[in-house]
Amino acid sequence: MAIIVEGRIFGLIALLVITGSIVYYMQKAYSGKIPKLRRLQAVDVIDEILGRCVEMGRPAYYLMDTVSMDTPSILAPTVAAFQILAYTARRAAHLGSKFFVPVTQGLAYTIASEVVDEAYKAENKQDELKLEETVMYLPDGADRMYIINHMWSDEMAGAFFLGSWYHKAVIFTENAARVGAMMLGGTDTTHNIPFLVAICDYSLIGEELYALGAYLSEDPTVSASLAGQDIGKYIAALLIILGSILITIGMDIKGLLSM
Amino acid sequence: MQIPIILTAIIGILMIIEFFFPMPTAMTSLNVTLRSFVTIISAAALILGTLVLTIYHGKKVGTKSSEWYYSIIYIAAFVITAGLGVINVRDTTFLWIYNNMTSPIGAALYSLTAFYITSAAYRVLRARNWNSAVLLVCALIVLLMLIPVGAILFPPVVPIGTWIRSIPSGAGFRGMIIGTSLGIMGLGVRVFTGRQKEHLGIREERRKE
Repeated sequence: MAIIVEGRIFGLIALLVITGSIVYYMQKAYSGKIPKLRRLQAVDVIDEILGRCVEMGRPAYYLMDTVSMDTPSILAPTVAAFQILAYTARRAAHLGSKFFVPVTQGLAYTIASEVVDEAYKAENKQDELKLEETVMYLPDGADRMYIINHMWSDEMAGAFFLGSWYHKAVIFTENAARVGAMMLGGTDTTHNIPFLVAICDYSLIGEELYALGAYLSEDPTVSASLAGQDIGKYIAALLIILGSILITIGMDIKGLLSM
Repeated sequence: MQIPIILTAIIGILMIIEFFFPMPTAMTSLNVTLRSFVTIISAAALILGTLVLTIYHGKKVGTKSSEWYYSIIYIAAFVITAGLGVINVRDTTFLWIYNNMTSPIGAALYSLTAFYITSAAYRVLRARNWNSAVLLVCALIVLLMLIPVGAILFPPVVPIGTWIRSIPSGAGFRGMIIGTSLGIMGLGVRVFTGRQKEHLGIREERRKE
């Protein structure tokens, strides 16, 4: 019996090297050596959007689309969206912006409620929070008309489209654009990234969604992990160049990759 | 406070081990059981969500706040549908509601996407600068390639469109996928090591306590 499942040796090596480098950079930051990170524009955009909402006296919407917590490919961006929600809700509480978080899945609803509740408590603004109106459970399907209708009736001034986005990306962003809302969009679903990039005022492409959650963390060891991820990028670039050379000289690398 | 993080890490690592290493049947069945817990917890949370939604609408009706009459529709629809489902989920009336009301409403709402894509495309595909001009030209070529009459009227759009989709577009998408995968790995490490736990509703001050 093989020790490792056939065809997954390279995957395991890549996983070990990349996670190892992430842990290394986190440890390094723990001992005081914090890597220099590029400031993500989205950090300022969150305040800009919420500030606009406060000035106009209109609400900001935080939409996450598909939040199915039992689907692995959706779970990761949903967790990242929750991490950004923690910061955004806190800033909304601090600035006094009206905030609305509709959620279409029961488990995600309980988490979102907890995150928003904690954010308002952290700012000592729990008296201003009407949790059942701020975080609302809407059954999937019915949410579309409810949200579109309220986008118009509330004349929302800002919107965040973060998480795992599918066809609703077009429906909601297009309506938000027509209402005149300022938008920050970010997803890792490749086929919907173009819509968010094209329609939203600011966007997070792919991994930036995950990076923002880490960047917003007050813990420097967390943001240091982003430097570890860069090692993965260097390895990927190196392998792409190497693969291109080997294929160009006529070498069959399929067998090598299926080890 | 530490229990959810420890559980997340243990279960997550178990799933990773199962993916890479051949496991004994007992271990595999344990992982299957753990995965079924997710479904059970989700179902329990669904009940909670529905309950909260019903309370919210009940309060709206009670206080006669704005648009309270819509809440009556929700409560009536919920009571009738849930009642019939609880009595007998295979009951023809329950299935009739699902097949003739819920399903077509969902399909109708989904079909809205086509109209919004059209207006979104109009918003996006305007040659405001060089970047958007390139996007516009590429989109037109690919659209012409995909519609049957396009290839007949302008045969060169087929090889050009295929090249655009498979080379520059394909390369861009692969770059995004690599970046996203690395982002997920980073997120996994941060969550498993308990360094990032905002998604659990644990804020920084509490973390330091």
